[in-house]
Amino acid sequence: MGIGSTLMSLLTPIMERIAPYAPGEIFPSFFTIPLFQNAFIAALFVTVVAGYLGSFLMIRNLSLIGDGLAHVAFGAVAVGLVIGYVSPLWYALLFTIIASILIHEMQAREILTGDASIAIFMTGILALGLVILDIWGGGITGTVEGYLFGNILLVYGESFELIVVMSIFSIAFLGIFHPILLATAIDPISVQVQGIPVRAIGLLFSITTAAVVVSMVQFVGTLLVTALLVTPAATSQLVARSFRSCIIWTQIFGLTSTIIGIYISAETESGTGSTIALTSASIFLIVAITKAAIPLFRSEAYDQ
Amino acid sequence: MSNANKEGVTDSVLQVNNLTVARSGKIVIEGVNLDISEGEFVGLVGPNGSGKTTLLLTILGLLNPVPIMGGKVRVYGKEGFSKSDLGRIGWVPQAAANLPRHIRITVRELVRLGTLNLQNMFKISDSGRSERVDRALEMVGLVDEADTDVSKLSGGQLQRSVIARALASEADFLLLDEPLVGVDLASRNSLLKLLDNLCHDEQKTVLMVSHDLTTITQAAHRIIYLEGSVRFDGPSEQIPDFSSLAGLRGIQHVHEDKHSSHGHQN
Repeated sequence: MGIGSTLMSLLTPIMERIAPYAPGEIFPSFFTIPLFQNAFIAALFVTVVAGYLGSFLMIRNLSLIGDGLAHVAFGAVAVGLVIGYVSPLWYALLFTIIASILIHEMQAREILTGDASIAIFMTGILALGLVILDIWGGGITGTVEGYLFGNILLVYGESFELIVVMSIFSIAFLGIFHPILLATAIDPISVQVQGIPVRAIGLLFSITTAAVVVSMVQFVGTLLVTALLVTPAATSQLVARSFRSCIIWTQIFGLTSTIIGIYISAETESGTGSTIALTSASIFLIVAITKAAIPLFRSEAYDQ
Repeated sequence: MSNANKEGVTDSVLQVNNLTVARSGKIVIEGVNLDISEGEFVGLVGPNGSGKTTLLLTILGLLNPVPIMGGKVRVYGKEGFSKSDLGRIGWVPQAAANLPRHIRITVRELVRLGTLNLQNMFKISDSGRSERVDRALEMVGLVDEADTDVSKLSGGQLQRSVIARALASEADFLLLDEPLVGVDLASRNSLLKLLDNLCHDEQKTVLMVSHDLTTITQAAHRIIYLEGSVRFDGPSEQIPDFSSLAGLRGIQHVHEDKHSSHGHQN
């Protein structure tokens, strides 16, 4: 019916072919069992989008906005679980987009500095969700915990479709606006002088950020969104020498984290989100240590 | 493309009439009149807080004149920005302070950002943009550094790459804000020579803000001394001697600047 299921019908035969080569006892089922297949594909999709977006968040000095918006999304999920009617992800999307736009506007109008406006929305909506949950929540604490630490197997049906659509929308936006986003991060005045509507594009960027965060919350968890949003992009800064190579390295680090993380979590029954986050952080550490230890990584251009 | 450029050509690049601009409710510049013609290299000097940057931002259309005072800014004979004139002004910020050093980006990538505009922002095809980048790199003498990460550049090279970005937009009128800060003495001279060549050989017009009176009087054809309003506007040779300028300002240390500005900058 949706784009997601069409996509799965295309990818399933390929995945089944890879399955015999997948290592481990449980990991191969991510290539064969439909529920696991969905989860795996969604994870890869989200990793690619998060890394791409993260590359821009890094250069805009907005590394922590993902964390802030994830908390907003979590509060909204709690509200959504209590009210019901549609998937809580829709509530998350609505609240997060509004928060993201308001944070952007507060920064643009210099009402509050970036960090402070993030902090206010993050705690405000989170608190709203927790209070509503305490009063009307009843026995749904277990479901909520899934969003806190992430549960890759929650990604099916409507959630899966939503994640795929948001990922495609986000990649398209970032791809089309790539040069402008880069130029704006470096020098917004020049871009404005060149006649480009910086403000409107900033607004679209906020909406995209919100959509990416919401698509991540379910599978890596509120607390660990930054692990895929910022860590791969930060790791790439250690090895890349151009923005283009930054983007490529970010994808390599991000996808490696996700695949290894899912493998380890499948085999050891650890939480998927936390294992991916740990893998991602470990890769950063390994690259940082390697860079410090091997002068070979250093550019010869230092003495210029 | 060259046709489009020729159409709007008038001798006057910038006309500022009786301009008054306020920032956060306080009048910063008042009754400023200016007329800059094509090919001029104008130095805009004045103490901190004298309104230099405010004037530049108003010319760029990022700040507005106080409405009731009737002040006007005309760029290439037109008030405000019309679409055909977008890109004719190039903004060159002070690289040392405004270019984020934490971004991994090569000189070529940076300069290419200057080629973006409303017409080509969604186009995948190159449409001559690479050529413009190459030409801009050539003009500022950074061809060999094209694939170097900007964080590895010296202060002078960094400023050159920011100038190249403005040139890549095919701007004819360059506005520079304190381009000499963080640039060592030798590079300073070649940077000024570059700007001079751009005016003479490429018919560019340059308006450059600096607080370094000594250096800028050696390079610019014309000096504007701004302090709330225009206190002096004329050829560099005729600039009043430093002590009388200091009298204008009511501040004594300008005279010291003359001797020590090279020393304490770097």
